[in-house]
Amino acid sequence: MVADTLGTSWLRIRAIANRHAYVLARSPHRLFDVTLWPLVDVLLFGSIATFVNSGQATTGAKAAGYLLAGIVLWHVVYQSQIAVSTGFLEETWSRNLLNLMVTPIREWEYVAGVALFGMLKLAIGIGVMVIGALLFFSFDASTLGFGIVPIAAVLLLVGWSISLFVIGIVLRWGSGAEALAWGVMFVVMPLSGIFYPVSALPAFLQPVALALPTTHAFAALRTLVDGGGLDWTQLGIATVSALILAALSVWFLVRMLSLFRRRGYVTRYS
Amino acid sequence: MQQGEGTSEVVLEARGLVKDYARARAVDGVDLLVHTGERVALLGPNGAGKTTTLLMVLGVISPDEGWVEISGRRLARDRSRAAEEIGFAAGYLPLAERLRVREYLKLYGQLYGLRDPRPEITAGLERFGIPHLGDAMGTELSSGQRTLVGIVRATLHHPRLLVLDEPTASLDPDVALRVRTGLRELSDDEGTALLVTSHDMAEVERLCDRVVFVAAGRIVASGSPKDVAATYGRGDLEGVFLHLAAERLAAQPHAVPAPDPDRGA
Repeated sequence: MVADTLGTSWLRIRAIANRHAYVLARSPHRLFDVTLWPLVDVLLFGSIATFVNSGQATTGAKAAGYLLAGIVLWHVVYQSQIAVSTGFLEETWSRNLLNLMVTPIREWEYVAGVALFGMLKLAIGIGVMVIGALLFFSFDASTLGFGIVPIAAVLLLVGWSISLFVIGIVLRWGSGAEALAWGVMFVVMPLSGIFYPVSALPAFLQPVALALPTTHAFAALRTLVDGGGLDWTQLGIATVSALILAALSVWFLVRMLSLFRRRGYVTRYS
Repeated sequence: MQQGEGTSEVVLEARGLVKDYARARAVDGVDLLVHTGERVALLGPNGAGKTTTLLMVLGVISPDEGWVEISGRRLARDRSRAAEEIGFAAGYLPLAERLRVREYLKLYGQLYGLRDPRPEITAGLERFGIPHLGDAMGTELSSGQRTLVGIVRATLHHPRLLVLDEPTASLDPDVALRVRTGLRELSDDEGTALLVTSHDMAEVERLCDRVVFVAAGRIVASGSPKDVAATYGRGDLEGVFLHLAAERLAAQPHAVPAPDPDRGA
């Protein structure tokens, strides 16, 4: 029995999410991405925070909060981006792209399926980090309050948007460009002022940093850590720029997919 | 071009398909018309444009000129709906890794809109004689078994058009016979139209009731296997194939380079 249209979309989204759940369940080493590495980051930045904290009660505690809250929320961007990017790359690695492209699945349904599964990985990863920060460094993320939710939502959107750019680039330039899936985040990270204000960056990089939605989201986070409540101005700038980034990434992906079909690049994967 | 004409419903109609790659024109004005229940082979030497034509029919490559309709739905406008009517399997495509056969088939059944594809999975595995493979991991299968599973996957949703690229390329004669029998049953019982490429001319003669020969991106002959062989004064399709391949070599002694997608259009 063929399901109705909306039901069919949901069926396909779930099917793609399940497909990646099987891959994760049968490749235990991939769990490192969502458990071990986030925990290592907590240990690294928590230890730096402890060192900075020693003997400087007020400033040190503030710096520790910046570091730990910053690294936890950075993983929202990183994990959401990497889940969608590598979900797509998995299809190229297993030469499954042609099989998928001949099915009725729509592009947005595929992305939604991978993103849905990515949310599960994200929940595991962030959960591990929050518990690790609490157990090892007595940093209770819940003290930041509900203000952290909209900030995390903006960062989630940014992560997905970057992943769409990465997929577009891989569609256009092939598997050789897949290193970007990981590399791009190491460019975005220092520019986003995760642990420090933009003024700490070299002057020529500051305009670039200010153009990134992540910079404003982390600025809002620091205000939250300072106990200043939710900085609506920074959150507003972050939201608007994240939406612009999302629109640009969708546009870019659609263009690259069209080029992919026009030039017959699918034969690279069959 | 002369195409199969009949009173039955048109499942596939492609008109004026043209595809240029950087170094060669791969497809040059191909028309195709396939009706319900027809079994059509698209034949020709390597680099003739068969696979590019199939990929345009499947909507994976967009034509530079021309259009494709599946059961009256224009691919360029309504790809998802049109794709619901098509199944595709190729002998060279692997199964997705880290999935058992039933999980893999369930995934694709759901992508084609089947809420509970289990009955279709069971029926498909039985039709092609592999019910015992349901719980095997994709990586445990031989290439022949993978091909069979691929064909089961392509037929789960009862497509009106089944496109097969070299479906028996890696199969031993016994399994190839099972595939042919299964495909013939499918075509007779459900009216599924077949569009097949193959380099095995004997197999094509056994399976298909119409052949379309392509050379240098153009259709050069179309009709029943016997008629086409007779037109070229050959005893069988293999003779026609060799004749066309020799003609191509004579016309282009340095051979046409294979399309290079990396170089783009």
